[in-house]
Amino acid sequence: MAKIKKERQNYTNIPTSSMSDIAFLLLLFFMVSTVFVQEKQFWVEREAWPLAESIERIPRNHTTTIYVMRDETILIDDIPTRIDTEEDVFVSDTLIKKRNDDPDLVVCFRTHRETKYGAMSDVMRQLQAANTLLVAFETQRRQQ
Amino acid sequence: MKIGRKRKSKAEIPTASMSDIAFLLIIFFMATTKFDVKEGIRMVLPQAAPDDAQKTETITLTEKEMTRIQITPTGLIAINNDAPADIDTRRLDAIISQKLNENGEMIFRVITDRDAKYNDMIRVVDRLKAANVEKISLSTN
Repeated sequence: MAKIKKERQNYTNIPTSSMSDIAFLLLLFFMVSTVFVQEKQFWVEREAWPLAESIERIPRNHTTTIYVMRDETILIDDIPTRIDTEEDVFVSDTLIKKRNDDPDLVVCFRTHRETKYGAMSDVMRQLQAANTLLVAFETQRRQQ
Repeated sequence: MKIGRKRKSKAEIPTASMSDIAFLLIIFFMATTKFDVKEGIRMVLPQAAPDDAQKTETITLTEKEMTRIQITPTGLIAINNDAPADIDTRRLDAIISQKLNENGEMIFRVITDRDAKYNDMIRVVDRLKAANVEKISLSTN
């Protein structure tokens, strides 16, 4: 009599022993690539920035952010100031210190789109006085 | 008499839940991370004029070399000596490309009124950058 062999069932197991390695690799990637925002608050929300098409990415390494609010209040390092008079040199003094620390400093403006240009012009004059000439006007990307 | 061998109990730290912990941490980082990508229009400001007025040199430029784009407080745009008008993006592009055809090295001077909106200045500078204009001057009146 022929012997009927029982078919062996092949169990397929996905190896999960390296799962924790993968998870920790991902975790390390996120921990290393995360750059913490230095400002305590977004004083001018992204929705209030102007729209533009021809914009480029600005590496965060050498940047500092100046917020110019709608009421012409200027914030550097979360310290509010106003440039009402020619003698107000707070902005230029702060920027001179920053530029001494980093000669490739790029000053990024986060300005409310409804702000009067006069306030921006005053800040830029202070930047020139501080010899901080690289600037970037942060904008939202307009879909082409 | 049978002498029983003492069984050594091995102490092991259970690592089965390690991946769960790691994934929990990842999800926490992914959920709390807010990407703050900096994007915008880059420019280089001119150096401040020296205090000594004698050091500055005045250069007179003609309309063939420089185009003045004036922005009024109401957002109207005046090109050179033209009257301010409501110029849309397409028309602005056409004017810029026409000026560049006349002179590839054309300097564009954007004169924004102090009471004009910042948004209007960005709109003009954006169109100039889109046309690959390199010589842009920002000023106010």
